[in-house]
Amino acid sequence: MNLTTKTRIKRFSPLQRIFHVLLMLSFLTLGATGLSRMYIETPWGRWLGGLFGGYEAARTVHIYVGIFMLCGLLVHVFYLLFKINWQKFPRSLTGPDSLLPRPDDIKQFFQHIAWFMGFGKPPAFDRWGYWEKFDYWAVFWGLIIIGTTGLLMAFPLTSSRIMPGWGLNVAFWIHRIEALLAMAHVFIIHFFIAHLRRHNFPMDRAIFEGSASLDAVRHEKPAWIERLEKNGELDAVLVTEAVPGQQIVFYVFGYAAVAAGLFLLIGALINTPYISW
Amino acid sequence: MKQMINIRTLLVASGVLLTGLLFLPAIASAQGEEVSSAIRRYKDREASTGYYEEYEMLPRRQRPFVEIPGVRRGIFPYSPTAARVRVRMRLADSHQGIKFYERRRCEDCHIEQTRDIHTVRANITCRQCHGGEPIASNAHYFSPLNPIRRHAYVCAKCHEGASASYASYVVHAPNPLMAGTMKSFPVLFYAFWIMVAIAVGTFAVFLPHTILWGIRELFIKKEKAESEPDNEN
Ligand code: HEC
Ligand code: HEC
Ligand code: HEC
Repeated sequence: MNLTTKTRIKRFSPLQRIFHVLLMLSFLTLGATGLSRMYIETPWGRWLGGLFGGYEAARTVHIYVGIFMLCGLLVHVFYLLFKINWQKFPRSLTGPDSLLPRPDDIKQFFQHIAWFMGFGKPPAFDRWGYWEKFDYWAVFWGLIIIGTTGLLMAFPLTSSRIMPGWGLNVAFWIHRIEALLAMAHVFIIHFFIAHLRRHNFPMDRAIFEGSASLDAVRHEKPAWIERLEKNGELDAVLVTEAVPGQQIVFYVFGYAAVAAGLFLLIGALINTPYISW
Repeated sequence: MKQMINIRTLLVASGVLLTGLLFLPAIASAQGEEVSSAIRRYKDREASTGYYEEYEMLPRRQRPFVEIPGVRRGIFPYSPTAARVRVRMRLADSHQGIKFYERRRCEDCHIEQTRDIHTVRANITCRQCHGGEPIASNAHYFSPLNPIRRHAYVCAKCHEGASASYASYVVHAPNPLMAGTMKSFPVLFYAFWIMVAIAVGTFAVFLPHTILWGIRELFIKKEKAESEPDNEN
């Protein structure tokens, strides 16, 4: 551990990290309350619901936290509007620092797969890999789909004025499948990529600490470092490591979230046969 | 003798008259139909279907000979009597004539209808919606669950302010997995399968992708790994 030399490269701003922490907390709460209701016929579901005050209270929590999450999305959209470099408008969004998908991402995806199979070299990723972009946009469309169907069901009397009441049956299933997809994706794929693969094991702290190890990034995202070096911008974004106390907090928080997620995932899988569909 | 004839004529005459009554138009009464104009007034505010002309009132006079049109199982039509027994869609007591009804539970005979959220999760009993004996068919004119008054007579008991649109929520929703749902509730069926396709598609790509990635990283060559110090994340 080296606290004086700048061994790490800045990756996320404090605001972005706060967004992520809030997203984690609300996502897990929504997952737990939602699953507790879906699994209310099983002891597991009832126990889970009990944490939030029972079947009905879980719905209230679910709705408020869901609305909170939607507000988060709204705030994030405003944040984006402020963040976008409007002077260089269209180009600032197509550059490598942007999270918008680029044709390169598709190429890199296939090159990456080829490398998994033992063909060629791994792609030289820039700042954002295609999987990171996918995760980012998945939250976007996921939130919009789950959010609208959720609002329709949260206020069924109002929503049945603007659509026929049987739309609630449809909203219910869309909400459910999209939510299960989101949870499975986060609890399996996102957790694996951020924790278990060798490059990141035991945990990618970047989203909490705001910075990633320069060596590790140079290894996985060489194009980014190269670009920064060529433009002479690298030194400006180097930072020192967080103090050990902070790091312990990051690890404990990160692993608590993983534990909660896996608990939900495993409980849901085990109890699947015992609920009426 | 004379009196006898008189009574017979009287009977025949009244019989003819009564039969004739059947062919008269239905009696117009003060409770005549509530008619909505072609312009849909108050449409946005009213908690009703707007189907006044057709059903809101007393049933029209029935035709004297009730027949049940073209009910068939498979390709064979039921005989009218059989159809009447089997089609209980418009009976005041939908269990009329069903043997051993009294001693059984709703779920013995209606398993399909026990899987809805109201029953399974909210512990609502069948009778809270379907009412006491006799349980009318849902399409019976006076059934509280007839769609024209369902929202007010049933749903609004618990969902204050329920409108007719709200009551079109399908309480006993068919399972969207089933092929039959394609016919009975196509929107649900297609929405379900489109969502499943998206979910399965995402996983079909990212699950193998991530597993392969995890495995591949275990075999990164030593020289490369050297520039990657242990636990430097
Ligand atoms: C002995 C078996 C049996 C029992 C017990 C039974 N039903 Fe039925 N029920 C039937 C049959 C048969 C029909 C007529 C066929 C149909 O429409 O599904 C019917 C029809 C109905 C209908 C009318 C369906 C329609 O299309 O309008 C309703 C509503 C209903 N039952 C509700 C109930 C409720 C509520 C209970 C419990 C209190 C119950 N049934 C108990 C056999 C049963
Ligand atoms: C929340 C109110 C509610 C509850 C509780 C309820 N039903 Fe129904 N039921 C309805 C409505 C509304 C319909 C009309 C068709 C529809 O919307 O699904 C219906 C229709 C039916 C039918 C006709 C067939 C069909 O599926 O359309 C049967 C049979 C039936 N219900 C039986 C039952 C039984 C048995 C129970 C208890 C396990 C039960 N219902 C509980 C509201 C309810
Ligand atoms: C006896 C009380 C009762 C009656 C009658 C009743 N419901 Fe419900 N309904 C409930 C309860 C309790 C819940 C909450 C279940 C839950 O939270 O899962 C509910 C939930 C619902 C929901 C889900 C709302 C949401 O949040 O998405 C809908 C839609 C609904 N009912 C429609 C109806 C309709 C339509 C009728 C009339 C046919 C009806 N209900 C009759 C008690 C009732």
